[in-house]
Amino acid sequence: MVLYSFYIFDRHTECIYSRRWTPRPVSSSSKAARPQSGSSITSSGDAPTGRKGMSHADDEKLIFGLVFSLRNMVQKLGGDDDTFLAYRTGEYKLHYYETPTRMKFVMLTDTKQNHLRAYLHQIWANLYVEFVVKNPLAPVEHPGGIGVANELFEKGLEAFITAVLPA
Amino acid sequence: MVVFALFIISKAGGLIYNREFHSGLSKLTSNDYLMLAGSFHGMHAITKQLCPAMPAPVNPSSTAAVLAPSPFSGRPSGLEVLESTHFRMQCFQTLTGTKFLLFTEPQQPNIDSMMRKIYELYADFVMKNPFYTVEMPIRCEKFDRGLDGFVKVRS
Repeated sequence: MVLYSFYIFDRHTECIYSRRWTPRPVSSSSKAARPQSGSSITSSGDAPTGRKGMSHADDEKLIFGLVFSLRNMVQKLGGDDDTFLAYRTGEYKLHYYETPTRMKFVMLTDTKQNHLRAYLHQIWANLYVEFVVKNPLAPVEHPGGIGVANELFEKGLEAFITAVLPA
Repeated sequence: MVVFALFIISKAGGLIYNREFHSGLSKLTSNDYLMLAGSFHGMHAITKQLCPAMPAPVNPSSTAAVLAPSPFSGRPSGLEVLESTHFRMQCFQTLTGTKFLLFTEPQQPNIDSMMRKIYELYADFVMKNPFYTVEMPIRCEKFDRGLDGFVKVRS
């Protein structure tokens, strides 16, 4: 599986955690699709291919607005108990999970996956709640992402991605 | 196998056709449908923007299966399938920018062929209708009947 990016949004529409993996060249090799951890983490350096003048912050805002509207559209059409799971384009697939407290977990992968709602739920329950919510030093809210990207959470996420996510 | 509804959105984002085949989606007012169509038009444009990687170069063998092979192969495609717990929405955009939204059950097979057939009906009964003005709401009885027959045979 090729993983492009992962975002967490809080209930105030703010992106409190984001992580990107540089996409691999499509034709490199059929195996080893998942980027290795460590060297591939990019905070702000990699220029998104195919677009000009869009910063990562713009991306985050666009993604939030998009999943927010799609979620509302799905609820309007399918009823209140309907939830938005994922969408796919020709190039990528976006997976969505929303916690009861309206935190939103978003993951962008290649198109060949089934929806990853269960995995995003696990990230929330096993990593976010354990290492961020239960951290006595972290604030209750995370303006600007304070307290989210701590060492245990980062390590846990990395381990989760290499060990649990479908290859 | 259940097909809930078909929407057709013009290239300007207006809803020009709206048809329900099976109940299952919530009933909305026609104003709400127009708003949904308009906002979907915008969301579709955003999904194109967000493309994290350039699309793979299309190999000639696979183009035969594509519904409308695009001359702009380097351009990202925008939203194609949306999944929710209650329904699945397939979006097909023609080369001229008209969007067909088909709402089905979540585990519906062969939506592509169904979409192709609907596009065919549209081309035959809407575009070839001399009384139809483009970008205007579609009121063609033959198109309605064609869709009805097609969906009923399938379900």
